[in-house]
Amino acid sequence: MRKAVTMEWRTRSRCWGLILWGCLCCSLPGQAEENLKVLHVAISSAETGFDPVMTSDLNTAAIEQQIFESLLTYDYLARPAKLVPRLAASMPVVTEQGRTWTFTLKTGVYFSPDKVFKGRKRELNAADVVYTLMRFMDPANRSPYKFLLDGKIVGLDERAEQARKSGHFDYDSPVAGLQVLDPYHLRVHLKTPDYNFGHAMAQPMMGVVAREVIDAYAGDTASHPVGSGPYQLAQWVRSARIQLVKNPYYRHEVWHFVPTQDAGDQRVVAQMEGKVIPQIDRIDIQVVEEAQSAWLSFGKGELDILGIPAQFSPLALDHDQLRSDWADRGVRLDRIIEPAIAYYFINQQDPQLGGMSPARIALRRALFLAINDDEMIRVISKGQAWRNAYPIPAGVAGADPSYQSMLNFDPVLANRLLDEFGYHRDASGYRQYPDGQPLVVRYTTGVSSQDRELDEVMKKSLDRIGVRFVSEKLKFPDIIRAERQCRIQMRLSGWIADYPDGDNFMQLWYGPHIHENNASCVQDPEWDRLYEQTLTLPDSPQRDALYHRLARRLELMGVTKVSTSSVRNVLSQPWVLGYKAHPILPSVWSYLDVNTSHGSGH
Amino acid sequence: MSQPILSPVHYSPGLWRLAAQRLWSDAIGRYSFLVVAGYLLVVVAVLFGWVAQDWDREVAVNYAPPSGWVTAANRVVVPPSTLVVSGPVPLYGWTDPLEPQWSQAQTYARTASREAPHYLLTLPFGADKWGRDVGKKLLKGTQTSVWVGLVSALVATLLGTFLGALAGYYGRWTDDALNGLYGVLTAIPYLLLVFAVAAVFQQKGVGTLILILGLTGWTGVFRLVRAEYFKHRSREYVLAAGALGASHGRRIWIHILPNVSHIVLVQFSQNLVGFIKSEVILSFLGFGVPVSSVSWGSMLNEAQNELILGKWWQLAVTAVAMAIFVTAVSLLTDAMRDALDPRLRQ
Repeated sequence: MRKAVTMEWRTRSRCWGLILWGCLCCSLPGQAEENLKVLHVAISSAETGFDPVMTSDLNTAAIEQQIFESLLTYDYLARPAKLVPRLAASMPVVTEQGRTWTFTLKTGVYFSPDKVFKGRKRELNAADVVYTLMRFMDPANRSPYKFLLDGKIVGLDERAEQARKSGHFDYDSPVAGLQVLDPYHLRVHLKTPDYNFGHAMAQPMMGVVAREVIDAYAGDTASHPVGSGPYQLAQWVRSARIQLVKNPYYRHEVWHFVPTQDAGDQRVVAQMEGKVIPQIDRIDIQVVEEAQSAWLSFGKGELDILGIPAQFSPLALDHDQLRSDWADRGVRLDRIIEPAIAYYFINQQDPQLGGMSPARIALRRALFLAINDDEMIRVISKGQAWRNAYPIPAGVAGADPSYQSMLNFDPVLANRLLDEFGYHRDASGYRQYPDGQPLVVRYTTGVSSQDRELDEVMKKSLDRIGVRFVSEKLKFPDIIRAERQCRIQMRLSGWIADYPDGDNFMQLWYGPHIHENNASCVQDPEWDRLYEQTLTLPDSPQRDALYHRLARRLELMGVTKVSTSSVRNVLSQPWVLGYKAHPILPSVWSYLDVNTSHGSGH
Repeated sequence: MSQPILSPVHYSPGLWRLAAQRLWSDAIGRYSFLVVAGYLLVVVAVLFGWVAQDWDREVAVNYAPPSGWVTAANRVVVPPSTLVVSGPVPLYGWTDPLEPQWSQAQTYARTASREAPHYLLTLPFGADKWGRDVGKKLLKGTQTSVWVGLVSALVATLLGTFLGALAGYYGRWTDDALNGLYGVLTAIPYLLLVFAVAAVFQQKGVGTLILILGLTGWTGVFRLVRAEYFKHRSREYVLAAGALGASHGRRIWIHILPNVSHIVLVQFSQNLVGFIKSEVILSFLGFGVPVSSVSWGSMLNEAQNELILGKWWQLAVTAVAMAIFVTAVSLLTDAMRDALDPRLRQ
């Protein structure tokens, strides 16, 4: 899932998993709300609208996770992340060597009330699931998560192709691969065995929607989320504040998760076992872009859960342990390895930096060589990250912590390379193209003060090799849009695992994913051919060998430099019950409770 | 013998000379003038590259504390050198499109002399997060901020004077039109207006900042100058000039302007203070100078996160430098107004 990179540094943790830095106010002013349980959280970048098929960023997914439900999800406590049923009554029955998946839905699942339903309770059924899956392939939706279904389901790609020609997607006639057996049974036929299909069905963007709602709000589906999840949207002030309240039609679900060996699981279970989900009445989400504001709020006891912004980690951690001043207050620290990467990419379609001529490849490699990742880790991440050059991070199937990058920081090599390929310095000491054009790199970041630090890193890097630096400042949703349109020249981007498999990372450079998640806009036939081979393989040494070839080719062609991976440090206040940081789930609010009798400081 | 008696020559000192004398005799005026002059000297020195040209060189360890303020809490441990000379890596079956140059460059890089840079552990004013000298940054920042203030105040004053003179002298529809423009600009809260103009420009840089501040800040000058011209255009000396055949332009710029110039000067220095503060606010909010430069505002912006970590020196020196300058200019403005218009003293 796309995460704001800048935030990775500053606040990454907040966006991970449980997003954010959140805050939990137990008591609000006013008699009526005396006993209302409210969870106040903050997200680090503005939401991008609540139509799951169209969103791809972590902050929005965190909210959608609570409003919509997918067939499967991940167990709250099990590590590594383990698939469990959500809308499905049980795990799917997989037959024909992984080609046929049969899902049985829970009964009594209702959509949250909406005027489209005219006062009736609308039960969720198998046809809704089929409709939801079809929407991903509708060209009109331009779904960034189309890759989860692309080329997988029998007959669905043909339907999409038809729609591309006719300009109209036919949702009415059945697709061979999506078979509704009865309202509670669904059978999916895959073209080839797919080991990740279960993970695909657990994504928040696979949350099931009702067709009449989408049709009724056509053109503005992003502001009318109607799902079957524990919460529904109550108030939405764009880019500022989002309020979720309990879905009154939510089915009876009881908190029951099996504790693991992890320290703290026993406490979580003791606090939550047997409680009805959800416990918290209202989730109050604010957009807080500056890490400092969130950090100070948490310190004042107004915040409940806070992913520690990296630059403030020295104030919370002492040799990676919670400092005693926090521990004495009863604050708890959750520390997990982030299944995420921060990677520099260069747009391969860019007229100035793109192209496959040796001179351009040399230029891009030199740009990557000039970046000092260790300095970033030390100065910006305050040691809460490490150099990871492999596209697949630790904790994800296919990871290789011992992978040797060919693009490690080496300004001498970078300069020499540029000299050899004719990028000579002009009178001012800056380099120009071999044909005499000025050489300028436009680097895109967000608008916060942390982004300015990223700018400084890049400015320093480019100065080392005599390349001029120009900064482009965009809001996070605009950056995402520009990436999809291949308008970014160079950026430090981030990706956090949607599911714990290497494919979720490697697909970021797959040619057909341009305008979706392939932000480098790279289309390399050789690379694509190898990638397609990996899709037919389970997690295995053969697949790892192919992944190593893929990773090296990304460096050889100067497409990307995987920079770092990091640790997520999450603080939670003593009155939060049942919190455990989850590496994959974008939010876990419905599994939490708050202790209203505990003084929360306000 | 009689000598011709030389009658004592009476000079009639001009307005400016008298004002300068009055200013100098006023202690506050004198000292604030000296302080401002000192800052201007810094601006000139940095502008011509005499000092602080290497402000962005990393000379010390990250957050090196100021000399004399080294404590156990802020002492910095020198990090190990991170220069890893890359060796050959497995290509997993690919051929490198950059061969043979890549190998040649690698061979060169491996044999090139790499001396580990020597970083200072402490500096007189401390170091920022990259190990840059805060003292030099301050000089450079002073130059940027004061320069932006000066030039944009000049732009705003010239614009305001020009439009104010036309409106006040011609009256009628010229006045109506310019007053309309004035009304529109002043109806919008100042900072909002500045942000709106900043958003239109899209491009960051000192030049953009100057334009933003200059184009939004002329309204105060305009109002005062217009009122003065309104008053002066029917004075006898102007009428006399007209009767002698002086053109409108001559009457506006040669006859009236010197008589209102003290107001323009005072307005200029007031704008200077205002614009420096605006630059700081804009840079603090991220609309200001690009990363390739540094100003008081960008230093304060950096300092907000540093302060929470206990690295107070960048905030301290920037705040002190800015406070002294702004106070000095404000006092000087007061003193100049007194000096140029003694009637105000009563």
